[in-house]
Amino acid sequence: MLRIPCPWCGVRDESEFRYRGDATRLRPSAEAGIDAFTAYVYQRDNPCDWHSEWWLHVAGCRRLLRVVRHTLTHEIRSVEPAADALAAERAR
Amino acid sequence: MSGPESTTAPDTRAGITCAPLAVDVIELAARRERTQVLKALAARRGLPLPALGWVAAARSTLVLAARPERWLVLSAPAPPGVALSSWRSACAACAAAIELSSALSALHLAGPAVRDVLARGCRLDLHPAAFVPGSTAATSMAQVPVVLSMLPAGWLLLTPSSTARHFREWLTATATPFGFVSAAGVTVASLSGESTQ
Amino acid sequence: MAGVPGKLRFSLGSRRSPIGASAISRGALAGPARISSGALTDPSRPFRFRFDGRELAGLAGDTLASALLANGVRQVGRSFKYHRPRGIVTAGPEEPCALVDVIGSSGREPNWIATTLPLQQGLVAESQNRWPTLRFDLRAVADRLGRFLPAGFYYKTFMTPGWAWERLYEPIIRRAAGLGRLAAVVPVHADPAETVHEHADVLIVGAGTCGLAAAHRLGAAGLRVILVDQDVAAGGGTLLDARWSSWRKSVCAALPQWPALRCLTRTTLLGAYGHGVFGALETLTPQESARFGGLRERLHVIRARQVLLASGALERLIAFPGNDMPGVMLAGAGLSYLKRYGVAVGRRPALFLNNDEAYEAVFALAAAGVQCAGVIDPRPDSRAAARARTLGVAVHGGAMVGAVHGRREVETVTIIEPDGRRRFVLEADALLISGGYTPASALATQLGATLAWDESLAAFIPDAAVAAGRIAGGARGVFGLAAAARDGDAAACAIAAELGRAADGASCPEPPPDAEASPLRALWEVRARGKAFVDLQNDVTADDIRLAAQEGYEQLEHMKRYTTFGMATDQGRLGGLVGCAVLASARGVPLPEVGLLRARPFAQPIPFAALAGPEVREHYRPRRRLPLHEWHESAGATFVTTGLWLRPLVYARESGWSPVLDEARAVRKCAGLTDVSTLGKIDVQGSDAARFLDLIYANTFSTLAVGRARYGIMLREDGMLLDDGTTSRLAPEHFLITTTTANSTAVLEHLEFHLQSTCAALDVLLTDVTDQWAQFALAGPRSREVVGPLVHGLELSNEAFPFMAATEGLIAGVPGRLFRISFSGELAYEIAVPAAQALTVWSALLEAGTRFDLRPYGLDALNTLRIEKGHLTTAELNGNTTADDLGLQRLLKKQGDFIGRTLAQRAGLNAAERLQLVGVRPTDRSERLRNGSQLVAREAPDVSLGYLTSATPSVEFEGWVGLALLSGGRQRLGQRLLACSPIHKETVELQILGSHMLDPENARVRS
Repeated sequence: MLRIPCPWCGVRDESEFRYRGDATRLRPSAEAGIDAFTAYVYQRDNPCDWHSEWWLHVAGCRRLLRVVRHTLTHEIRSVEPAADALAAERAR
Repeated sequence: MSGPESTTAPDTRAGITCAPLAVDVIELAARRERTQVLKALAARRGLPLPALGWVAAARSTLVLAARPERWLVLSAPAPPGVALSSWRSACAACAAAIELSSALSALHLAGPAVRDVLARGCRLDLHPAAFVPGSTAATSMAQVPVVLSMLPAGWLLLTPSSTARHFREWLTATATPFGFVSAAGVTVASLSGESTQ
Repeated sequence: MAGVPGKLRFSLGSRRSPIGASAISRGALAGPARISSGALTDPSRPFRFRFDGRELAGLAGDTLASALLANGVRQVGRSFKYHRPRGIVTAGPEEPCALVDVIGSSGREPNWIATTLPLQQGLVAESQNRWPTLRFDLRAVADRLGRFLPAGFYYKTFMTPGWAWERLYEPIIRRAAGLGRLAAVVPVHADPAETVHEHADVLIVGAGTCGLAAAHRLGAAGLRVILVDQDVAAGGGTLLDARWSSWRKSVCAALPQWPALRCLTRTTLLGAYGHGVFGALETLTPQESARFGGLRERLHVIRARQVLLASGALERLIAFPGNDMPGVMLAGAGLSYLKRYGVAVGRRPALFLNNDEAYEAVFALAAAGVQCAGVIDPRPDSRAAARARTLGVAVHGGAMVGAVHGRREVETVTIIEPDGRRRFVLEADALLISGGYTPASALATQLGATLAWDESLAAFIPDAAVAAGRIAGGARGVFGLAAAARDGDAAACAIAAELGRAADGASCPEPPPDAEASPLRALWEVRARGKAFVDLQNDVTADDIRLAAQEGYEQLEHMKRYTTFGMATDQGRLGGLVGCAVLASARGVPLPEVGLLRARPFAQPIPFAALAGPEVREHYRPRRRLPLHEWHESAGATFVTTGLWLRPLVYARESGWSPVLDEARAVRKCAGLTDVSTLGKIDVQGSDAARFLDLIYANTFSTLAVGRARYGIMLREDGMLLDDGTTSRLAPEHFLITTTTANSTAVLEHLEFHLQSTCAALDVLLTDVTDQWAQFALAGPRSREVVGPLVHGLELSNEAFPFMAATEGLIAGVPGRLFRISFSGELAYEIAVPAAQALTVWSALLEAGTRFDLRPYGLDALNTLRIEKGHLTTAELNGNTTADDLGLQRLLKKQGDFIGRTLAQRAGLNAAERLQLVGVRPTDRSERLRNGSQLVAREAPDVSLGYLTSATPSVEFEGWVGLALLSGGRQRLGQRLLACSPIHKETVELQILGSHMLDPENARVRS
């Protein structure tokens, strides 16, 4: 079982969260076309490595978090608010 | 012969007392980048908003900060709509004021066995060193969302009203081995007797 | 015990030597083989129990196994595959053979481990896997056919013909397989169960000298410690060694002084689940069980910052022919039965040992006055052997056991030379064996430890440190009680430092020194004629493993699956390493190259009930109740569970359509009132609220005027419909969304996800207000007249308050909201008031409606009304339908982005042959329709063209009406098709109609 350190609520059990999918895929712009949206919705890597994921803390703060987790060891390297993660993403 | 045991002798005294709490609940949700404005406004009204994870008490009112940038304001019951309208107009520019008096059902728990009982449903660490008086947290218990607060005068639980009966049944069944006593209602004023932060 | 029946036969007979001098008179202690009172048993509290119908006597503190052995009962079951007689092999939870059925008041429960099952007054147990009786088992013929039942037998034999699997092979195999059997009658009341959530700085697994020393150190450092041990008492090996009793007592007396330290005995650690989470199962004492309403087991979910694995080592068996015969037992178990329960497992036991530690059993038996038949040791000599000789025990060095003989139990043991030559035959009634010790590394590997081979111990040893934890004592090959205590103390100091605490508190008392031991000699198998078992529970022999290797299953995990080696509930704890060694030798490679089986959670079998905890039956999921639940109850409603909600289905207790149609007819003719409080309600506020809704909904909400409501549809990003509902604009920056009952949670999460990712910069606040508002639909041509008098100061004329109007105001004196929206297809209002005022307003509405014959209606009538009208529920919004499929394509906005916009344009989602929503009626009005019926053309009856999603008898039309999803449906209006329901053996001819069968012009809702 994962224990996710929520930036607002502290370390909480996985059961308090809802997994919301791959956070490496960002929604394309409205005019990006079917191929771009198909990739956004369906195409996923399956890395044996660090992976970014969205987790929504439904039983706590109800904030969306970007969790960087190792898919083999389940080690969690970072947890940050979605807004911060996206701002950093845009800055890059 | 054996090492220290986990269990205590059967306790025939009340291990946990449970009382319903009649209360009006208004949720104040700060608008985007208006949190400081809301805090200043609340302070002017004599109700400082606590930091996330804490409870504040003032003027017979409890304020719970269980979610970021949101506060639950608990006060004695007034006629329908009165509590809301006093906030709605005051904070329109900086916050949404949402009436949740009917949405949430409040229980007050006290007694030496409260932590033992809550540990049978609550995944949080409620050890006195980890969850000190004045703490509040949103979590789930018995598969139901709950806002759990520890006050000097006991524990306060807010659960959705549609599952209140389910929660109460779970609580009663879980608490019975510890000596469960149903008590008469308590008031917000009696719980907000002293500031906890 | 005076009452022991005379016919009870201790199978050794009188020709064997008499019980030793120190034995206490047989009458005083339950069972003829009990020679002293034992450390755990209480001679003043005799218990009676039954095993296979025989009444026997035991003592408080006994396990079922110790009580059976005390009564001379050796054979306790038959084996899984060959139905060979089996006895008790161990004295703990690793027991592979002594599994029994327990028959209690709530039925029969299989697979109780006799070696851990506490004896209770009146316990009734039965042996497993024998038919018709334990002594005479017809299926034991499998043993004679043994050479025709090799590894992989099922895979090789039951291949062809294909039809025979289901009809012939599987039923036979199922009857022959398995161990215990469940009660035929399921108990009516589930046993109570509970889950306790625990938090600790340090979890210590195992309360032997290692764990106790560590607990002492960490407790003194003020840390929050949970110490668990599966045994009934803390102490581990000290419970078997009198030299350690003062040390144990002193430590156990010290621990309670630290309130942050808790010791859970009778608690088995089930597994490590990552991130410091562990599961543990506690078995309650009878006293505590009584206090907790009969609760037997308690599941602890422990979250720990650090873990210390002090789980010790497990004694392993040696594979030799007949090593499964009743009377063959681990040496440590023999010692345990003697010290803890005062039971001599034999009157003249022989021992087959390859290590000095196991000689403790020899010394203890000798001290208790039991005459050993002799010790067989493959080592020529050792320190322990020398000491045994001084006690008068014959030690046969440089020898091995080549065979065990006896009719049902051990009678003779054949001693052979290392080269296989027979040396002589020894008369013995029990054979205690020890092949050395394997560190209990299962948890360590679950925590990510790697294993390294240690030649001197002939064992795999885990690393000392793992993620957030350490391994100490026997669990990492530090054998000897004193050495383990020192190792535990050192590990505790390291953990305290890790957690930032000084570990300078008082140390444990100085432990007594470990005896000097000679090294063991690795001995895995004695190769001789006969079945030599490596897995006693799954009946796997050394020959099976060699066969598997020969047939290409050389990798350990392949061999495991081919032979079932290590796949039983004991996960091969006794013979796991032995089997690996046999495989290594068959392959001609060193043992470390083969590796060790990976042990997975659960460490031991756990009842499903303990995992389920209190979340069973009516508490399986929370039940949401309407604010007016009690009113509906008193009005005679029958309830139905939809999602988590309990909703009134119909206000009648009898079944049948008649009361439903009465309710629906009242709505069509006059007026009805129904409770729709279950609809999801989401409050949306903020300066960007309208923009946000334009992104979320496929249609436009920014153009919605204040005081108006609009029907909206949401798509998933893949273009499929997510949900529909009516959303109102209460103020320029304040909207109220309603969702379907079923999707309310999913929709809120969908909104929150997009608000925090897709459009994270918007000023929008979302609040779930579902439970805040009670909502009632007042429907029917007279509804305006009903509600009118209750809304003071609000003009309800069609002009002033038209279809899709929404407003806030006082309703029956309560501040609420009024919407003119309709699900039934009639003139209708929805009234929302705070749930606490629900009864006031509901009663006022019913009162006001008395003269219009207003009556409440339930979900069934609501469904009848909406099917006639062609409105949607989750039967149609089923996750596979698009807006176009349901005739809603006109709602998709042409300008601007919204979730699902791009992918909804994919050709496949707009193909003409997709299933489209239509209305249906049977051609013969007297025929009924069934949900799920397949639609076919008469000329092609095996090609499905679609299916019925909803059906109801109609109040508006003659006979039944329904909705269906039909391939190219909108092009088929007017066609006749067949609706087939093979499970009902019904075929009905249908007319295909538009989905809005009732009032397609919407005249009624606008009236």
